Amino acid sequence: MSPSANVVTPLIETVGIGKSYGQHRVLQNVTFRLHPGEAVAVIGENGAGKSTFVKILAGAIRQDSGELRLGRTPVSFHSPRDALRHGIAFIPQELAYVPQLSVAENILLGRWPQRAGMLTPGMLVRRAQEEVARFGLTIDVVRPMSSLKLADLQLVEIVKALARRAKIILLDEPTASLTEAESGLLIGVLRRLLQEGVGIVYISHHMDEVFRFSDRVDVFRNGELVASERPSETNHNALITHMLGQAEEQFDPLPPQIVTRPPILELTGWSTEGVSSLRDVSLVVRPGEIVGLFGIRGSGTDLIAEGLVGRRADISGRLAVGGCIFGMFKRPIEARRAGIAYVPAERKKDGLILGLSIRNNLSLLVLHMLARSGVIDLTDERELAEALIARFNVRCLSQMQPVQQLSGGNQQKVLLASRLAAEPQLLLLNEPSRGVDVGARLEIHKFLRTIAAQDRAILLITSDIEEAVVVSDRLLIFRDGRIVDELIGARKTQGQALRGATGASIDEQAINDGANFS
Amino acid sequence: MNKPSTMEPTSHEGASRVRRMSRDALTRLAIQAFGLTSFYLLICVFFALRSEQFLTFSNVVIILSNISVIGIVAIGQAIVIISGGFDLSVSGTVPLGAVIFATLINTEIATPLAMVITLLVGLLVGLCNGLLVTRAGINPLIATLGTLSITGGLALTVTGGLTRGFEYPEAGILAESSIAGLPNHILALFVISLISYLVLNYTVFGRSVYAIGGNREASRLAGLRTDLITTAVYMICATLSSFAGIIVASQLLAGSATLGSNSALTSIAAVVLGGASLSGGKGGIFGTLTGVLVLGTLANGLALLAVPAFYQQIATGVVLLLAVGFGRMRALFGVED
Repeated sequence: MSPSANVVTPLIETVGIGKSYGQHRVLQNVTFRLHPGEAVAVIGENGAGKSTFVKILAGAIRQDSGELRLGRTPVSFHSPRDALRHGIAFIPQELAYVPQLSVAENILLGRWPQRAGMLTPGMLVRRAQEEVARFGLTIDVVRPMSSLKLADLQLVEIVKALARRAKIILLDEPTASLTEAESGLLIGVLRRLLQEGVGIVYISHHMDEVFRFSDRVDVFRNGELVASERPSETNHNALITHMLGQAEEQFDPLPPQIVTRPPILELTGWSTEGVSSLRDVSLVVRPGEIVGLFGIRGSGTDLIAEGLVGRRADISGRLAVGGCIFGMFKRPIEARRAGIAYVPAERKKDGLILGLSIRNNLSLLVLHMLARSGVIDLTDERELAEALIARFNVRCLSQMQPVQQLSGGNQQKVLLASRLAAEPQLLLLNEPSRGVDVGARLEIHKFLRTIAAQDRAILLITSDIEEAVVVSDRLLIFRDGRIVDELIGARKTQGQALRGATGASIDEQAINDGANFS
Repeated sequence: MNKPSTMEPTSHEGASRVRRMSRDALTRLAIQAFGLTSFYLLICVFFALRSEQFLTFSNVVIILSNISVIGIVAIGQAIVIISGGFDLSVSGTVPLGAVIFATLINTEIATPLAMVITLLVGLLVGLCNGLLVTRAGINPLIATLGTLSITGGLALTVTGGLTRGFEYPEAGILAESSIAGLPNHILALFVISLISYLVLNYTVFGRSVYAIGGNREASRLAGLRTDLITTAVYMICATLSSFAGIIVASQLLAGSATLGSNSALTSIAAVVLGGASLSGGKGGIFGTLTGVLVLGTLANGLALLAVPAFYQQIATGVVLLLAVGFGRMRALFGVED
C-alpha cells in the first residue's frame, strides 16, 4: 500500500540504525519506513534482531547509531511512555495490565475521567464502551480484567493503545498464544485500523498470517534487514530462504508404523469435575512413538499435562508408567521419579531458571547423578553441558552465559536438553515450539524424531495444528474433555484435525489456502 | 559543548564529538571498574590517609572483631535471600541466643553443652520459620516478622528484661585469642565463610538454593524438593544467628535482650551491598563479606575520625544507596557481577 514512498510522508522511519551490546552487534544499518495504512510484518530467526528493532521503535531501547524520524523530524525517545506520547503504542508478548481493575479502568488507565478530583465511574464506563465499540468488539467493560480470556486481553490492550490515539502500533507476536479463531478476530480489528490510517508493525512467526494480512514483509537476518517483499510477489519458500540464508530443510514426516510393544504410558479413565474437565480419557504411548494431543483451548489437553506432572491430584483414573501402576501424582518429584520429563508450555515461568547459566540449567535435573556425597563434580557438569549444547545445537557465547540472554529458540533447546539429560522414559511436551522461530522449530521437530527413535515415548500436547499433524505418529483429537478422534496415516490431515477439534464441518480447501475461518 | 560557529565548522564539531565520545567511554570504563571491592579499597585509602591508626594491626583486629557477629548473621541471611526468602527474625534470634547462653552458663553446665543447646534453640526457630513459609504458605516477610516478635519477647522473658552477666568468665572462650593474636570468633567467621562458600558453589544443596531463588515453580517442576530446601535454609540462618548470639554474649561476658537486635537490617544491607537481589537467585558469600566489611570499616573509620555515632548511621545509609545505585548503573551498562 505504499507505491509512492517518496511522496507520502512516512509515519515513522529509521535511517541506518544500529545497536550493539559490548562486542556483540545485534542490529546494523537498518533503514525502514512505515506509511499510514500500511501493515509491515517483521520476520526472521530468533536472534536476527527483529525484537531489538521493534523495541527501538517503541522507545524501550535506544540505538547506538543512525536516526529515528517521526514524520520527517528526528526524534529520540526516553522511554516507551515517551514514545506513546508521540503516538507509538507497543504491545509486547507479555501483556502489562492490572488484573484487579475492570476492563474500563484498564483501557483508560492513568486517564480516568474525574470531576473536581473525584472519579466519575459512569463516564468511565461510557467512554470505555465507546472505545470498544469503535472496533466492533463486544467486551463487557465492567468485568474485572482477570476474568478475560487471553485473546480478549490482547484486544483490550490494543483498544487501550488506541484510546490514546496511537498512530503506530507495534505488536510482538500478537497471535502466538491465540487460537486460530481468536487470531482471526484480532486481525479483523487490525484491518479496520489500517483503514483509519494507522500504521502497524508486527513480529510474526506464522507464515500464513504474514501472507494473509501484511502489505510488506521485512526479513531480518543477523541484525540486518535483508529483504523487503510484497506478499503478492513472493512465496513461503522464498521468505524462509531469506531468513535462513539458505534453502529450507523440509521436515519429513515418517510413514505410519504400527508399534505393538508394551506401552510406556497408560492412562485409563481419567476424569475431573469442573468447567474445563476430562471425561473418561484413556490413552497409551508406546516406546518409539510420538503421540500428539490436539484440541482448542479448554479441550482438556492441558489437564492431561498437569495431571502427568503432579500438579492436579484431583483427577481420578488409573495411571501406569513403564508397567508400574501409580496413584495420581501429588508432587512433581513423583512424576520425575516415575521417569517422566516435562517441557512446560511457559518456558520462562515454569521451565528455565533464567538468571542461572546455560550449564547450570542443563544440569539441574541430574545434579544428584553428577554429585558424589552431595558435592557436584564440576568437570562432569561441564562435559555434560558441552555434549548437550553440541547435540542440541544451542547457539551461545559460552556455557556460562545466563539463559535469559538467549533467544527464544535457543532457550527452548536448552530446556529440552535439560529434560533429556535425565534420560526419561516418557518425554511430555506442552507447546514446544511456541514463540520459536522457524529454524529452531524445525530443529526441535527433528530432535523429537531422533529421541523417539531411541525408544523413548513422546507425548506432544500442542495447539499448533501444523506441528500436531507433521510431528506426531498418532494424533488424538480432544474436544470438551473427550478424545473424539484418533488420526493415523492418510487421515492425519490438518482439516481432519480441525474438524474433530471444533466439531464443525470445515472446508478443507479453505484451510489449505490459509483463509480466515473464524 | 560549544555550538560550532559558521566560521570554523568542521574542526570544532569534530573535536567536540571526539571529546563527547571519549567522555562516554570513560564513564563506562569507570563504572565497569568500580565494583564493590574497588569501592572498599577506596574507603580504606581514604581512612588510611586521614588517620594514622587506621592501618595498624590492632585496628584491623578491632574491625574484624566488630564485624564477626554481623558477618555470621549476614552469611545466613545471604543464603536465605539467595533462595528467594527473607529473614527478619535474626534480630530476635541473636539476642535470644545471647541470653540463653548466658543463662545456661550460670547454671554451671559445661560450656560446650551450653553452646549446643543454644544452637538447637536457633535450629528450632529456623524450623518454625521454614514451616511457616512452606507449609502455612505465609509470606517470608510476615512469617519472620512474627517470629522476630516472639523470639525478641522470649529473650526479654528469659532475663526479665535485665542484663545477665557471666558468673564464670572462662565461658567466654569464643572471645579469647588463640592463633596469631586473632580472637576465636574471627576464626569462626573465616571457617563459616569458607564452608558456606563451598556449600553454595560446589554442592547439590547450594545449587538448589540458587535454582529455587531464581525460579521456584520451575525448580519444583524440575523435581527439586523446594520445601525441604527452603526449610533447611531458614534453619541454617537461625542457627548461625544463635551462634552469633553466643559470640556477642562471650565478647561482653553478659547476655541481654538488646544485643544484636539490629541484626536484620544490617545483615540485609550487607547482603544487598554484596550484590544479591532481593528477588532471589543472585548473590554470594564473597560479596556479602565485602558488604559487611564496607559497613564495619566505615563505622570504624568514622569513629577514628571522631565523627559522632548519629552521623555514622546516616553515612551507612548513604553508602548503601550509593552502592546499590552503582549496581543498577553497572547492570545498565551490561556488566555482570
